[in-house]
Amino acid sequence: MHTFKDHFKTFLLRLGSMTLAIVILTVLALASVIGTVLLQNQSQADYLQQFGPIWYWVFRSLGLFDMYHTWWFLSLLGLLMASLGVCLWRQIPRILKDMRSRKVTLSESAMKHMKHIQHWQADQLDSTAFIEHVKWQLNGWSFREDSYADTHYVRADKGRYNKLAYILVHAAILIILIGGWLGVQYGFRGDMAVPEGSKESEISYLKGTSTEYMKMPFEVQCNSFDIDFYPNGMPKEFRSNLTIIDQGKEVLTSDIIVNEPLYYKGVRIYQASFGDGGSNIHLKLFRMDGTSDVAEAQARVYTKYKDEKSGATLEITDFRPHNVENMAEADQPKDFKDLGASVDMIFRASGVKPVKVRSFIDPFVLEEQNRGSFFQISLSGDTKEFQPFALGLDFSNEKEWLLFVAFVKHLAATEMKSPEDSKMAFKAALDEVFPDGKPDNFKDMAVRVMQAVQTIPRLPWPFLPVLDDYDQKYYTGLQVASDPGMNVVWIGSALLVIGLYIMFYVSHRKVWLVIKQHEKGYSISLAGMSNRNPLNFDREFHDILSNLDQYTRTFGKGDAS
Amino acid sequence: MNTATQNRGILSALYEGRISYIRFWAYIGMMLGATGLALWGGNGYNEDNYLFMLVSMQGLIWLGTGGLLAAGAAIVASMVKPGVLRNTAAAVMVPWFDGGVLMVALMAALTVFEPAASAVSYLDQSNLFAGKVIMTMNVLLLFSSICYIAYLFAPESFIGKMATLTAWLGVYAGGSALLLRWYESYLLLDGEIGHAPVSNIYEVFILLFCITTVIYLQWERRYDAKAMGAFVMVLVAAGVFFGVWLDSVGQGEIKPLVPALKSYWMKIHVPLNFVGYGAFAVACGAGMAWLFRARLEVNGSSALLRVFPTLDQLDQLAYKSVAVGFPAFTLATILGAAWAAEAWGGYWSWDPKETWALIVWLVYGAYLHVRVSHGWHGRTLAWWTVIAFLVTVFCFLGVNMYLSGLHSYGRLA
Ligand code: HEM
Repeated sequence: MHTFKDHFKTFLLRLGSMTLAIVILTVLALASVIGTVLLQNQSQADYLQQFGPIWYWVFRSLGLFDMYHTWWFLSLLGLLMASLGVCLWRQIPRILKDMRSRKVTLSESAMKHMKHIQHWQADQLDSTAFIEHVKWQLNGWSFREDSYADTHYVRADKGRYNKLAYILVHAAILIILIGGWLGVQYGFRGDMAVPEGSKESEISYLKGTSTEYMKMPFEVQCNSFDIDFYPNGMPKEFRSNLTIIDQGKEVLTSDIIVNEPLYYKGVRIYQASFGDGGSNIHLKLFRMDGTSDVAEAQARVYTKYKDEKSGATLEITDFRPHNVENMAEADQPKDFKDLGASVDMIFRASGVKPVKVRSFIDPFVLEEQNRGSFFQISLSGDTKEFQPFALGLDFSNEKEWLLFVAFVKHLAATEMKSPEDSKMAFKAALDEVFPDGKPDNFKDMAVRVMQAVQTIPRLPWPFLPVLDDYDQKYYTGLQVASDPGMNVVWIGSALLVIGLYIMFYVSHRKVWLVIKQHEKGYSISLAGMSNRNPLNFDREFHDILSNLDQYTRTFGKGDAS
Repeated sequence: MNTATQNRGILSALYEGRISYIRFWAYIGMMLGATGLALWGGNGYNEDNYLFMLVSMQGLIWLGTGGLLAAGAAIVASMVKPGVLRNTAAAVMVPWFDGGVLMVALMAALTVFEPAASAVSYLDQSNLFAGKVIMTMNVLLLFSSICYIAYLFAPESFIGKMATLTAWLGVYAGGSALLLRWYESYLLLDGEIGHAPVSNIYEVFILLFCITTVIYLQWERRYDAKAMGAFVMVLVAAGVFFGVWLDSVGQGEIKPLVPALKSYWMKIHVPLNFVGYGAFAVACGAGMAWLFRARLEVNGSSALLRVFPTLDQLDQLAYKSVAVGFPAFTLATILGAAWAAEAWGGYWSWDPKETWALIVWLVYGAYLHVRVSHGWHGRTLAWWTVIAFLVTVFCFLGVNMYLSGLHSYGRLA
């Protein structure tokens, strides 16, 4: 008859069995692979496009897009915890008992089964001195001695607490999992973007695949943000000066950098990223309607500017103060150069496909020659597909634009047949724009104007938006987190490492010295065993033996077998 | 007594008893001093400056104080309780530490060959000397692996000795090249980008060769398992070819660190991780040797069999390697989590690299359980070490190549 209790017992036995442990470890490993191959927490539209409707539906139902938080993955972790718990609960008493029992005697039959054993015969023996010598030899071991009839036993143990390691390791994993659970249950973690000079108190975080918001019990104010760059344009260090404002009072001001967070009321604030915090952008719009009109435009990053005259709009998406590029050929030594500030915008005008334009403040200078201003244009709107577009003219010099417009006007008045015509037109344009005499660099200008005639008309836009000036402002990207389980995790981790160290490097070694007295003298046996690391124990036992072997020579008849 | 045994006498005296014990603690004290310097020295830790902090007056004070205090404590302890002198940890560890010091000395000697400061530039790093030392290491390790294979067929000849010797030389070349590279990183851009040479995949590959080879050599020395060398060193040789390729596509250049990597955690976390990877590589070599020997036994080819360790020994060596790798890898993962907690605000983000580290850990954890519970030995476990190492390779290479995440500093272009 199986009672409920029997069933429960079998169930616990199974739950704490190592077979189940192996299965859980393997399944967890396999499941984790899925989570890394399938990018987590992307937008649903991306998934749909990537997998098609059927697989999208299958994956979604299994929760694979946020796998580590699905009920089944968490259940797996729960099962691991249950298994560990049961296993510990069953093993701890057994291990403690095992550790305490140190039987001094060693039976003849047990001796026969020992792999490490050595016998000597001696006619006469100062057994006290001999035992002392063995004890000296086994420094750091713990001893037990006893005599039964004509036999004296010495038992030496080393690394008796090796078995404790089993408890430490498994309990540690349990503790780490509990700490993780505490963190999930009572902690939070999210992002906060604070523009320079502004305050913020809300963090955003991903829950599944949607974004959620949470209010902090204090405000974070970004007083300033600084960034250093390496010569190759990589950020070297970024630093925010933050003030914590709690209930309207400034309580704490501090600098933070990556790897050096700020701590306030159980919440840590980390420097994570940075970006444009709504810089003020000043653009010049060079109209392409044959007039020399230049409009000025003022806008902030992340806003739209609408040009009333043409109806075109510019959506300012980003601003970068530096653009460092490697100007060298592929297999030449690198040559980094800062192309200067740039602004990204989406250009929309009637009759033209929307494009993304990156406009630079400076003209392109190569080998000390001004090659005129340029854009980067992406027809798809993807910044990875920016193509350079040389304008020819240097737009940072407004006179050059006037020269260009005048030149085009005069050129149109000629028949545009011979090079003579264009020379005449250029002269006329020069006289018109520079009535007081030619500027020194007019030859360079001429080259650029000639080039611009070829390139600028190819752009079908109502105007050319060129970056003219800016007032830069960063936002600092902060990660804000609180995790009450973190210290529990660290404690578990420490136990885990200590446990593993003991488990693998401290084996429980036992050595018995058995001295039996009979009519003809003494028979001495030395036996040893180790619960792990047999290769090492082979050597250790051998060392002990060879030392004792020398000592036994002094007994007279050193008959080792 | 001839000179050979006399030399041995002097050498072994260096590695036994009081001298060894005191040296052991002096080294530990110096390491603690270096840690203290990183944590509290100067105006706080600064990656750009750490090496120079170490060799400056300040570093001398920290390291010297740590070393002297610990050595003093060791002297006192050894007086009070002479038994501690027979502590095996000191005897085991001191040769390693001495090896490290020798590498530093070698590196200092190699700086002589460094071109003048005016002749080196960040933009053109081709004339830095460490690259040449790395090439030397490549040649030595390749040569060594060939010798190990030849040894299988000619065990009596000097080839076996050559194999071991070139492997050791390769390790020293690699180690001192890495140190030299550390020094070189300060020569560029006015010292602005100086950092320990464990920041990109090329550098850690060199580290991996050295660690794998050293762990193997240790087994060879202690357990006379030379035939296994052919398998381990072939893995290393494959890595060497990969490293040469990495260099040829520009991954070998010294590059600045992104801010997230500027942390003393990097210097602990990365090398420790590679102790794990290296040990797993050796376990894989032992597993392959096991499978090879098993095949030989079936075919009854006895000439080769005589060279090989027994199946049981190979099984034990694989296990021992995992026993070295598993705790190191566990600690490295935990330190990685601690670093993530400090840099990103969370100790675990299910980032692909982290997750794969967990997978590797679980796979080796399962290996350990299978060994204990089912008494499985031999074939299954030999395959397990080989396949688990493939998983490991994916963790340190595949993740960088195919998956994206926070650890993208290791990305291949
Ligand atoms: C699922 C729950 C688990 C159970 C029921 C379990 C059970 C056991 C048992 C019964 C042993 C044998 C102890 C002995 O007789 O020496 C053992 C050993 C061990 N366990 Fe677990 N374990 C579990 C999870 C884990 C996990 C997650 C790890 C970490 C990866 C782990 C690491 C180890 C190690 C390192 C050993 C020692 C293996 C050796 O002796 O070489 N265990 N476990």
